[in-house]
Amino acid sequence: MSLLEIKNVSKIYGNLHALDNVSLNVDAGEWVAIMGPSGSGKSTMMNIIGCMDKPSRGEVLLDGKDISKESAKRLTEIRRDKIGLIFQQFHLVNYLTAVENVMVAQYYHSLPDEKEALEALERVGLADRAKHLPSQLSGGEQQRVCIARALINHPELILADEPTGNLDEANEGIVLELFRLLHREGTTLIVVTHDPEVADVAQRTIVLDHGKLSREIVNENFHD
Amino acid sequence: MKKQNMFFRMITASLVRRRSRMLVALLAIAVGATILSGLVTIYYDVPRQMGEQFRNYGANMIFLGAADSEGLTPDAVERGLSYIDANKLVGVAPYRYETVNINEQPVVAAGTDLAGARATSPYWIVSGEWPAADGEVLVGEDIADVFDVKAGDTLSVSFTPATAEATTAAEGEDAQEETNGIEMTFTVSGTLDTGGSEENYIFISLADMEALTGESAAYDVVELSISATQNELNAIVDSVTENVSSVTPRLVKRVTQSETTVLSKLQSLVLLVTIVVLLLTMICVATTMMAVVTERRKEVGLRKALGASNGSITMEFMGEGMLLGAVGGLLGSILGFIFAQAVSMNVFNSSITFKPLLIPITILVSILVTGLACLIPVRSATDVDPALVLKGE
Repeated sequence: MSLLEIKNVSKIYGNLHALDNVSLNVDAGEWVAIMGPSGSGKSTMMNIIGCMDKPSRGEVLLDGKDISKESAKRLTEIRRDKIGLIFQQFHLVNYLTAVENVMVAQYYHSLPDEKEALEALERVGLADRAKHLPSQLSGGEQQRVCIARALINHPELILADEPTGNLDEANEGIVLELFRLLHREGTTLIVVTHDPEVADVAQRTIVLDHGKLSREIVNENFHD
Repeated sequence: MKKQNMFFRMITASLVRRRSRMLVALLAIAVGATILSGLVTIYYDVPRQMGEQFRNYGANMIFLGAADSEGLTPDAVERGLSYIDANKLVGVAPYRYETVNINEQPVVAAGTDLAGARATSPYWIVSGEWPAADGEVLVGEDIADVFDVKAGDTLSVSFTPATAEATTAAEGEDAQEETNGIEMTFTVSGTLDTGGSEENYIFISLADMEALTGESAAYDVVELSISATQNELNAIVDSVTENVSSVTPRLVKRVTQSETTVLSKLQSLVLLVTIVVLLLTMICVATTMMAVVTERRKEVGLRKALGASNGSITMEFMGEGMLLGAVGGLLGSILGFIFAQAVSMNVFNSSITFKPLLIPITILVSILVTGLACLIPVRSATDVDPALVLKGE
């Protein structure tokens, strides 16, 4: 069953077609990578899927409901309830500890629960760094806090924008291993990347070029 | 965990862990609150302080004997004084004037409570000492010049009753010695320089006056120095007039009116300065808070991306600002009192009255000013597009 359906979506800025009649289906539990060079429309696609932007034309169905014409307030609620975001630059609140950063997502979603937030940090291997501030953590550790924060509210979809873009090879491996684990547990993953190695570990790769869907590659060798 | 707990955890973390940034804002608020509470303290204390200063210019009320009464007896004066708050009564000096003779020359002697006279007339300049015991006299400069006396000398003073004088004139010189009255020798404790008519008098104690004249007569006038506003003084005059028929109270208008004029002008000036400082503080705090909020646009974008509503973000930033305002206000109210105390000690040479109510008022005003100052930058911050901010654009 499709968790996400994008039907003939275009995003137009003046004369520029950032996305041009793109259609895509992502099933629940699927791991999809979106690739493409700079200016191909990856970020626009990510913003529309992440409820941070609306398409100029077309429909976006999340869980069977069209969200393309929802108000900004409603989109915020949908994003809070259904989507976990992971950013290339981590974006942690710099004056809150690792566990407090995870609890912020809980705070906006429902009720903060420190024990649950500590468990989420434990899952990403950071139980012993819970009381550290972001400035006391390495890039890889910060990204793992970001993943724990994205997971904490059990979202239906994890949307990661260049999640390994600022990481070294060792930390990239740790993050991809975490994605494998999440996928095995049935989490739907959409990873926007320009790194072929990151795309290669996904079940399916969508390639965008000049705002159009140019190719779709199914990973025959995919394994969790 | 309750949502409120996390709310306070976030805002206190922001204030405590971003110390260097928040210290600037806190300083702006605390300085503003300090000056504000200091000036308000001075504003309310000026009448009291100036009132005390004005008491240096002499009595501001006198009691006279009513025309159709037994006169200004000590008992009548006591009853009049009972209508005046003892804490506000700076001094009371009853005067009884009699014409006495020194070296055969007539001189006006004033019998008074010398300690009271010293309190009601602090501007009198005495060369030597004030009389400390009976048998001592304070001599006006002019009299001292005429009789060539100075502190430490003795002065022979005689008193001839009016009836005796009349008899002497009628019966001739033979009877003079029998009816001359009493002669007393006083020690000059000091000479008096006032620049006024007092320099033509000699001042002795009431007991000496009784001894000299051989009778205990009513006072001619009672001078009072009261630390009170014009309205309070008017109320005293009304009460005494109504309740003590033998006493006629009068205000010394040249003192009370100039006091009122100067006070109202001074208070207006302090009020004006307070308002200007309040406006400047608001601008300063608003600018600082604007900078604090603006540099956190990325954080606002992140919070929105995580699902925060605009209302929630506004609450958090306002909460931070208001907590900062409360801490700054508390600091300011304490420092403000110290500031007012320093001003008071330097300008008025006396300590200021602590007003506990000013602490919650200063905190409340600081919270209000900081809250208002935060509102504008927070409103603009909530317009942030999370997608743009998180991409670093």
